[in-house]
Amino acid sequence: MLIVDDHQPFRAVARELLESAGYLVTGEAADAAEALAAVAADAPDAVLLDVQLPDRDGFAVASAIAAANGPAVVLISSRDADDYGRRVVDCGARGFITKSKLSAAAVAALLE
Amino acid sequence: MASNAVTALPSRAAVRDPVLLLPVAVAAGLAVGWLGVHERAAGTRIAADLTLSWALVTASLIVLERPRWRRARWLLAAAPFALLGSDLEWASSHALWTVGFLLEGLWAAFLVQLVLTFPEGRPWSRPARIAVITAYTLTLGGQLVGGLATPDTRNLLQVTSHPSVADAIDRVQAIAGVGVALGVLFLVLQRLHALGRPARRAQAPLLLAAAITALTSVVWLSWVTATDARVPTLETIAHALAITIPVGIVVGIGWSRLRRPQASELVVELRSEAAATMRERLARALDDPTLDVAYRLGDGRYVDATGRPAELPQRPDRAVTAVTAGGEAIAALIHDPALLDEPALVESVRATAALVLENERLAAEVRSQLTEVRASRGRIVAAADAERRRIERNLHDGAQQRLVTLSVALGLEASRADSAAAAALSRAQDEVEQAIGELRELARGIHPTLLRDEGLTAAVEALARRAPLPVTVQGSLRDRLPDPVELAAYFVVSEALTNVVKHASASEASVRLERKAATLRVTVIDDGVGGARITPGSGLAGLRDRLEALDATLSIDSEQGRGTNVCAFISCGS
Repeated sequence: MLIVDDHQPFRAVARELLESAGYLVTGEAADAAEALAAVAADAPDAVLLDVQLPDRDGFAVASAIAAANGPAVVLISSRDADDYGRRVVDCGARGFITKSKLSAAAVAALLE
Repeated sequence: MASNAVTALPSRAAVRDPVLLLPVAVAAGLAVGWLGVHERAAGTRIAADLTLSWALVTASLIVLERPRWRRARWLLAAAPFALLGSDLEWASSHALWTVGFLLEGLWAAFLVQLVLTFPEGRPWSRPARIAVITAYTLTLGGQLVGGLATPDTRNLLQVTSHPSVADAIDRVQAIAGVGVALGVLFLVLQRLHALGRPARRAQAPLLLAAAITALTSVVWLSWVTATDARVPTLETIAHALAITIPVGIVVGIGWSRLRRPQASELVVELRSEAAATMRERLARALDDPTLDVAYRLGDGRYVDATGRPAELPQRPDRAVTAVTAGGEAIAALIHDPALLDEPALVESVRATAALVLENERLAAEVRSQLTEVRASRGRIVAAADAERRRIERNLHDGAQQRLVTLSVALGLEASRADSAAAAALSRAQDEVEQAIGELRELARGIHPTLLRDEGLTAAVEALARRAPLPVTVQGSLRDRLPDPVELAAYFVVSEALTNVVKHASASEASVRLERKAATLRVTVIDDGVGGARITPGSGLAGLRDRLEALDATLSIDSEQGRGTNVCAFISCGS
């Protein structure tokens, strides 16, 4: 599993949360460019992807991954899915989790 | 020194005094007339030439009142002397005959130049310039070359005797003369058609006379070409008809003088409280439909009557006349330069207009300031919106991010801790969740992300979904609108729905978005208790200020017990 978020403390908590639930975290990325490089290099089964990244937004990254038949993407954001409208559906991601509601169970439910 | 200057003055003035032209022309005419009689020239021809000469000189003196026609005046004064000079061909003196021969036809070239450069002395166009040059080449040049070969005992220029060469030159002159006359005719008719109204008034008589003269010249020169012989009667008729040219000039001046309104009439006309604008009244008074008025503001800029910035043209086809009051420029009249030929008319209009334009100028100044205030208000709102966006982003990237991390961390610890600790951690996580929720609402109110990313319809639909009562959204916009328009419309819906929830006790509400041409109409209706008003300091009042900065209107229809209808019309600016 790849974790993409520009906020390092959040990545750390997320990694701990996923690893304690038995996921193997293959890497972390802080922006869109790193994320796409890590997907190509490590071929993870799934990507936990923040919407708000410094270079391009998460929707663009999700679309690029989907276009290349890449791994499943779970979008996360501190905003509501409601704040993004149709883009959540249109970008080809597997699902969306509001960050504060992030748990291993929520991730597992989407990836099943 | 002083006395020198005084004595020097009269002689210099005498040389320059154009009125002296008249006695000189009369004397020259009488001398040539005597020569004609003495040498038995045709009486009609003598009469025609003397009349034409004196008419041209008289016209040149009358043109003195038009400073812009200076070049025309010199041509009018030169043509009669060329004409009288060419009549020296009647003389038996060798020298006089040769001078007369050389000058033959030159007067006609002067008149061609006069007409085709009238009134300002510049040729109207390239073809006009070519016609003028051709006329001089044919007359002066043709006679000079012809003189070398023309067999005549009086010809001092003759170097060889080739009658056939002289004849050929005569024929070329006649044929090319027909061409020039046709060209002049065409150019004159074209000019008549194109002139603006004030210019036509003063110039049409001359142009008509030129057309008549050109036409008779075509007939005369064609006859000469066809019959290969000089026809004295036709030549005399052509000279006689040329008199229409000076007459045309004088008639033009007289006509535009007659049409000139009196100053007292102007005052009545300009001060009348008719519905016509000041521009229309001035245009009528000066009989120039193209006239424009520009008002000068305190800072020196010019604006039109609606307060929009106006440029003073700097082109040869437009003239600018300043209107002053109390020594200060208050406005400028932009008009046809032909009006400059009637300085007295423009002066009286200017003096009268100064009395009435001051009010118009003040009104234009106020309108201009209003436009500026509106623009600056728009900029203030835009700046505030940019600031809102920045704050929303900072909240999201800063506090919200940290709280979210904290919440997830608490959840993780709670899942690993024993039951007592887990309960405490869960409570803490709930509190953090609450804070995150409130912060998110706050951020949304400051600047809605969805609006920026997805547009007005999506953002309004999200507002409707989050409202605690059923809200239907009707209408959808195909295109994105300018940011300030979308934000204003969004805030209208947001503020109206907030009021519905807080005050209306409504069971349902509906939002309608419609775009007609360049106007967006936003309507929010509820079935609540009504009685809503815009009170100072309220959310609605702030909203109205924001809308007015966009040239938009906000109206509220909220009778007691009949629900509330909030409606905004926002111009989309395109």
